[in-house]
Amino acid sequence: MARYSPKRLFRNRMNLVPFLLLLPAFMVLALVVVFPLGFSLYTSFTPYRLIRPNTLHVWIGLRNYTDLMGNGDFWAAFGRTVLFLTIALNVEFLAGLGIALLISRITWGQRTLRTIMMFPMMFSPILVGYQFKFVFNDNIGILNNALQALHLSDGAIAWLVDRNLAMFSIIFAEVWMSTSVFAILLLAGLLSMPRDPVEAARVDGCNPWQVFRHITLPYIMPFAYIAMTIRSLDVARAYDIVHVMTGGGPAGRTELLWTLIARTGYNNAKMGMANAMAYISILLSIAFTYFFFRKLIAARKFMRGAD
Amino acid sequence: MDPKLRRQLGRIVSWVLTFLLMMIICVPGLWVVLTAFRPNAEVLAKPAVWVPQVLSLNNFAKIFGFAQEVAIPVPAYFANSMIIALTSTAIALLIGMSGGYAFARYRFRFKDGLFLGLMLSRTVPGIALSLPLFMIWSRLGLIDTKPGLIIVYVAMNVPFTIWLIDGFFRQIPIELSEAAMVDGCTRWQAFWRIEFPLARSGIASAGIFAFLTSWNEYALASQLTRSTYSKTLPVGLMDFTSQFTIDWAGMSAMAVIIIIPALALTFIVQKHLIAGLTFGGVKG
Amino acid sequence: MKRRTFNKLLAGGALGALAGRMASADEVTSAVYGSFDGVTVRAKLIGGAQYETLYAEIPKWEAATGAKVDVISRKNHFELDREIKQDIAAGTLDWDIGSNHTSFAPQYGDIYMDLNSVMKPDVLAAFDALALKNSTVDGSLVQMPRHSDVSNLYYQKSLYADQGNKDAFKAKYGYDLAPPETFDQFKDHAIFFAKAPDFFGTQYPGKDEAITGRFYEMLVANGGALFDDKWNPTFNSAAGVKSVMWFKDLYDAKAVPAGVLNYLWDDLGAGFASGTVALDLDWAGWAAYFNDPANSKVANDVGLIRAPKGDGGKRAGWSGSHSFSITKTSQNKDAAASLVTFLTSHDNQMIEARKGLLPTRTQVWKDIAAEFGAAGNDFMVEVFNTYGQSMAEDAFTPPLIAPWIEVSNEIFPRLQKAILGEMTAQAALDEAAAAATRIMQDNGYL
Repeated sequence: MARYSPKRLFRNRMNLVPFLLLLPAFMVLALVVVFPLGFSLYTSFTPYRLIRPNTLHVWIGLRNYTDLMGNGDFWAAFGRTVLFLTIALNVEFLAGLGIALLISRITWGQRTLRTIMMFPMMFSPILVGYQFKFVFNDNIGILNNALQALHLSDGAIAWLVDRNLAMFSIIFAEVWMSTSVFAILLLAGLLSMPRDPVEAARVDGCNPWQVFRHITLPYIMPFAYIAMTIRSLDVARAYDIVHVMTGGGPAGRTELLWTLIARTGYNNAKMGMANAMAYISILLSIAFTYFFFRKLIAARKFMRGAD
Repeated sequence: MDPKLRRQLGRIVSWVLTFLLMMIICVPGLWVVLTAFRPNAEVLAKPAVWVPQVLSLNNFAKIFGFAQEVAIPVPAYFANSMIIALTSTAIALLIGMSGGYAFARYRFRFKDGLFLGLMLSRTVPGIALSLPLFMIWSRLGLIDTKPGLIIVYVAMNVPFTIWLIDGFFRQIPIELSEAAMVDGCTRWQAFWRIEFPLARSGIASAGIFAFLTSWNEYALASQLTRSTYSKTLPVGLMDFTSQFTIDWAGMSAMAVIIIIPALALTFIVQKHLIAGLTFGGVKG
Repeated sequence: MKRRTFNKLLAGGALGALAGRMASADEVTSAVYGSFDGVTVRAKLIGGAQYETLYAEIPKWEAATGAKVDVISRKNHFELDREIKQDIAAGTLDWDIGSNHTSFAPQYGDIYMDLNSVMKPDVLAAFDALALKNSTVDGSLVQMPRHSDVSNLYYQKSLYADQGNKDAFKAKYGYDLAPPETFDQFKDHAIFFAKAPDFFGTQYPGKDEAITGRFYEMLVANGGALFDDKWNPTFNSAAGVKSVMWFKDLYDAKAVPAGVLNYLWDDLGAGFASGTVALDLDWAGWAAYFNDPANSKVANDVGLIRAPKGDGGKRAGWSGSHSFSITKTSQNKDAAASLVTFLTSHDNQMIEARKGLLPTRTQVWKDIAAEFGAAGNDFMVEVFNTYGQSMAEDAFTPPLIAPWIEVSNEIFPRLQKAILGEMTAQAALDEAAAAATRIMQDNGYL
């Protein structure tokens, strides 16, 4: 053919173009993320205290990190954060899947339902914190009042104090706020699903569960991984919620890495130590994100194979 | 069982389940909305007052300074929030389009590494960034300014925006724009005439996510803003707390003011959202 | 003309008409406050409903002096604290006046100037000497006290008047039921009145510096001390254990709400106002609210007595003052001093006192009581008398040391552990004392 190959057209251009196109993105990220991170990495090797600016110039090497290795409270918070993330992300996925499946079956009024479904996304995390602080208040909270009025419980349940209930409460608030993200992405997946394989499977005598298990679920898993990746990117938003609801207490029962870092860095003014903690917590988020990202790539490959 | 009856039953069950789920989603939120119209004494009463006895606009009147208390500068916060959220969303979309286009249409070295790096930049918790960011911003004179916050939100939203838009551009057959170029369009013209219109849904859904993130962000805004020059609505919520008291009803009234624009915008963009997410994120 | 009438006229905007005739030190004129044309004073002020009324007066000072006030920040104290620490870190102390608090002031090092050099001696003389002493850090008056906090005990009068209660109590505890004089009685009464989950004996703040402070004042009342003379922690003493057990016994007996460890001051006030709490050790700022039928179910049934005594025969009196400080880097120190003088003036303290905030000028104590007396508000007269007594006789501050908040952050989670039964009181206090020792070493006290 006389026409030159389409692929050529794009490859022939100077290789500089994509970098130029990406330049603004990397510039802004360098300014807002990379640069500050470099600074906080440096401070994590100093005994930097906010209220004593000259401590910024004292180099103590890895002492903050070695101190952290033996800090039981820190590792307890670390473990609790992993637990929090694991439970919250899984529950959000399951609840989001349930909502998406239900809404996808409803045709009339779906647009309104979708907006309602996204209602919690309109709430600022700080507001969600206050909202559930009042919902879960043991004395005047609507939850205990409702339980008492319905005679489901005779005592005031200490939602924000009891070891398990306090974790439950902050996870509930987080799940309430973030399930929408899963639901909307999974719904998008369901609505884009081709009907033919499902019909074919039905004709072949598959029951609804089998159809779901072998056709629907594999199809929407990439959407789930996207949602997981997005969520693991900004889970630290949960800091606002926990900070307002329990502040990490009582007796450290709901202490997550983020509340611990904030208290160490600002209230105790030990910014060097706080930044060492932050670096370890960044590794944790990177691990979570990387995990889901790999899954996503694999799922995408699977889908292309299926096509 | 008669299959017709069974289908009927299934439909009813799914309706009931949907209704229950919607209740769980809505009740805590609607409770906030209702609180906005009730006095604190009634909201925080024990035993609970289930049927509101007093519904009034008093909490709103207080916010806007029609009562004895000092007004909360809501109009200023609202304007700040709007300007900051809209500007940062627009810039993030522009940067996202250019970046997404690069990832979708070009091959270059370190492509996968750059993409992963871009995503990982978003994993840094705000609390770890807040102090260094503050110190750099204060050197640059960006503390308590709208541009200061806009830049931060652009950075927060760019990774996800690039991701969505990248996926979306990949969906558009490359042949379309090539055909246009063969017909004499420049690459730039081909982009605006062919690819951009097709990618609109994806861009809209990336936009709504970016807008909601900026509109609701608290942790960094509370560090980087200080006064009515730049304070946003979520930071303004804290005006209702002081050492000894929290004015929960007042806070709820302010919450309603925050939620309504976000809800309206979401409802409008709704149609694009589903379409945009469907093609954008996955089928890269 | 009486001062009160004068104030009313002032508030009514009759200032201009009166300016010629009256030459009071309270008048807001350039003769009193100076002239600072073209100067802009930048201020970071504590925000929140109780504090804002005062700021509405600022335009009067602006009109008199020709200066402008730019409130560059208005946040609650914990947010403000964080912001000031950031400013120290970033070197952005480009403002003049900051709200401060006696508990927080020592951590800010030397960013604030000694006000002895800019405040007029006659102004300083009008302040309560103890309040000024507590505002002094390392010999430097770093803040002018605006109003003070101390807690006294509110109770529901009808509970104590009820004959059935009296008889039942006497039969059970062997002594007469009357508003408690000691923490031991306080505990007995709280347990006696409680009927969880509908009615509670009392409440206490369960976290942060709030519970540390409560523990601290009880420790002192019980004859203990946080530190010895050389700054070694000594709060893991018998008096310390006894103080912790007070919290724990109430918790175990369900005399306090089950969620109390997550409560802060707002929950305490809301709880007592809801009529479901018998006794509430709390600050004066709630008094008017408690007695207001629109907000409170216990209105007209509120009794008030001084905070109880501990084993040491001393009353609890954890106290602090909200205050204003001027930065050393301020370019307009005279204008800033003038504004601080204005914000803590007699008339402005009267405005805050009408809301129940405790003044730091001796004359205001007398005038506010007289004003409420003339208006027939006996309850508020009693409030100011009671709080006046405890400010004069019982009040003491936490140690005015830089790491106070850091020490508190080590103490309060251990108190919670002891209350929840995760550790014994002694073990919890020992652990906290060890942590406090490390902090004091790190900060060069030991």
